[in-house]
Amino acid sequence: MTSTLQPYSETPNETYTFSSRPRPVPPRLKYKEHSISQNEGQGIYGNIMYDRRVVRGNTYAQHVLPGPDLVEIQRQQEARKRAIAKNRAKEQFRSRTPDALQGRKHTDMQTELYLEELSDLTEDTSVGCQTDAFLDKPITPLFIPAKSGKDVATQIEKSELFDFDVEAQPVLEVLVGKIMEQALLEVLEEEELHALRTQQRAFQDLHDAEMVEVERLEEQERRRHEEKDCRIKQKRVVLEKEKETAEKIAARVFAQHYLADLLPSVYTTLKDHGYFSDLVQRDIETGFLPWLVAEVNSALEKRQIALTVFDILIQNVTNWRRETFQIVNPE
Amino acid sequence: MAGTRISERLPPILDRAQAPVAFGQRALPRLAAELQNGERSVRQRALAALRDLIHDPERAYEAIHHGCLERLRVLLKDENASVRTTTAEVLHLLATHSVGREAFLRLDVVSSLAELLDEPVDACRKNVHQALKMMAELPAAVVCMVSLGLVPRLVMKVAVEPLDIRELVLSTLSCCVRVDALSTLASDGVSVLKEQLAHASTNIRRAAASAMMAISVPPEGKVKICEEEVLPVVVQLLNDADPGVSAKAAGIIMYTAVITRGKFQALEAGVLPPLLCLVESEDRAVCVNTLRALTCLAEAPKARAQLLQHLPLLQTRLQHPEPIIQRAAATAIQVISWTP
Repeated sequence: MTSTLQPYSETPNETYTFSSRPRPVPPRLKYKEHSISQNEGQGIYGNIMYDRRVVRGNTYAQHVLPGPDLVEIQRQQEARKRAIAKNRAKEQFRSRTPDALQGRKHTDMQTELYLEELSDLTEDTSVGCQTDAFLDKPITPLFIPAKSGKDVATQIEKSELFDFDVEAQPVLEVLVGKIMEQALLEVLEEEELHALRTQQRAFQDLHDAEMVEVERLEEQERRRHEEKDCRIKQKRVVLEKEKETAEKIAARVFAQHYLADLLPSVYTTLKDHGYFSDLVQRDIETGFLPWLVAEVNSALEKRQIALTVFDILIQNVTNWRRETFQIVNPE
Repeated sequence: MAGTRISERLPPILDRAQAPVAFGQRALPRLAAELQNGERSVRQRALAALRDLIHDPERAYEAIHHGCLERLRVLLKDENASVRTTTAEVLHLLATHSVGREAFLRLDVVSSLAELLDEPVDACRKNVHQALKMMAELPAAVVCMVSLGLVPRLVMKVAVEPLDIRELVLSTLSCCVRVDALSTLASDGVSVLKEQLAHASTNIRRAAASAMMAISVPPEGKVKICEEEVLPVVVQLLNDADPGVSAKAAGIIMYTAVITRGKFQALEAGVLPPLLCLVESEDRAVCVNTLRALTCLAEAPKARAQLLQHLPLLQTRLQHPEPIIQRAAATAIQVISWTP
């Protein structure tokens, strides 16, 4: 049953091989103990021809299992003996106990379960083995060579590996965000301009429409005003004319009336004023009379002068007389 | 992986054509300094960066505050055409903000822009005209432009410029005319606009019609329009497919028909049938202008007689949801049904 271990070879890469020398089954010794047989080792092996365990004869028609062998009978006998021995041992060790005291009760108890048999006899079983005629060599087990060298471990943590998606995301976000922002700004600017222009245009249209209305009304007003002025002027002219005509007629009538007795009165007036005068008379009046008057004037002037001279003389005389009188008198 | 330490290297340059923009408040002073740099490439890149920043109104204010405008004025006279083009574009973008417009008036940028009107490069001229158009929406700027004598030059430019620039010039002129019509009338603007009214492109027609409508507001303009026999051309425009053009054409007629001479000229040109077709239009501007034109024309007895037959058509317009159209329709009906 023992097999020699193969010496450890220096080639661990080869597949595992096991080989042992074929050896016969040791016989069942009738008279010696098994332990002794084991100690004696390799020397004992029996002749197979005389081994009871080997099947003899034709086996093709044998249906019956081999009957109780000697070995089995022996085994049974031994078992019986063992049982009897056990019983005897139990009897020996059973003690006759006194009766239970008051208040207590004896119970029988089996301690078989807790007992362990100590005996020299080792239980053994015999196992028969017959190699299969056509069994192939079993699969050689995996050769795991023994460990050599240093153990080095490395572990990549979760955040150490470069994950492109994670790294690229903020950059992309910023880029796309900036582009969108710029585009939005430009579009907003254009929309704003467009909205401003539309509003401007709408306002301009309204402005124009109202302006033209204003102009039209102004023009209308101006025309009406002009028309009115024109008409008023016309009317006034007409009135003027009428008035003039009336005045003219009145004047004419009055003039006629006035001039009716103008002629005799003119004559009378002229005559009164002396326009119709006699020539001689006129001549006398214009020529003679002024001369006469002038002569009279001069005569009178001379007289006046003379009188004045006289007056002066008299005055001088009287003055002289007075003075002389005064000279004489105050004394 | 991103680290927490700030790198010592400068940030990478993403766009070779633009100068890198500094952070926060440092951006614009640095760009303003770069604009004065001796090297042309530096200036160009600074201009490109400025052009992108100026869209934001706060940046525009900062730019003006740090004196970018004086430098831009100097750069307008640069020899390189692309520098001038970009400068004109930056000025156009500045003019879209009101702080920019005020700064233009204060620093007299309009005269510098006006010098570039004869620029050979198309793109530069286009930007200059865009900037002028933005400025023309401000009445004070129009006064400035008139005092600089820009209006006759613009009128002359109308005939010679290519299509897209012509549209801009016409818009500028219509804004100028709204504020001050005399200068345009003096430089024979009516005949120039009359030629443009018959142009093939819709945008040009629309811009020209809008300018003509603005000219027809003051009385001298009305007289001039009657003299130049513009009304037959305008009547042609009433049948135009684009509602904007027909709205403006109806507007010209409505303004010109305020004076008596205009009324009779319009009636001779056969304006009533197209106008009656346009009353049904869905576009608000067209509808209102047509109704007002009919109102003005209805003051002439001849027109009134014709229009009395079409009263039901006008009465349908009374139910329109817009209040202005209802008012216009009511006025028209009132004027048409008036008897002396």
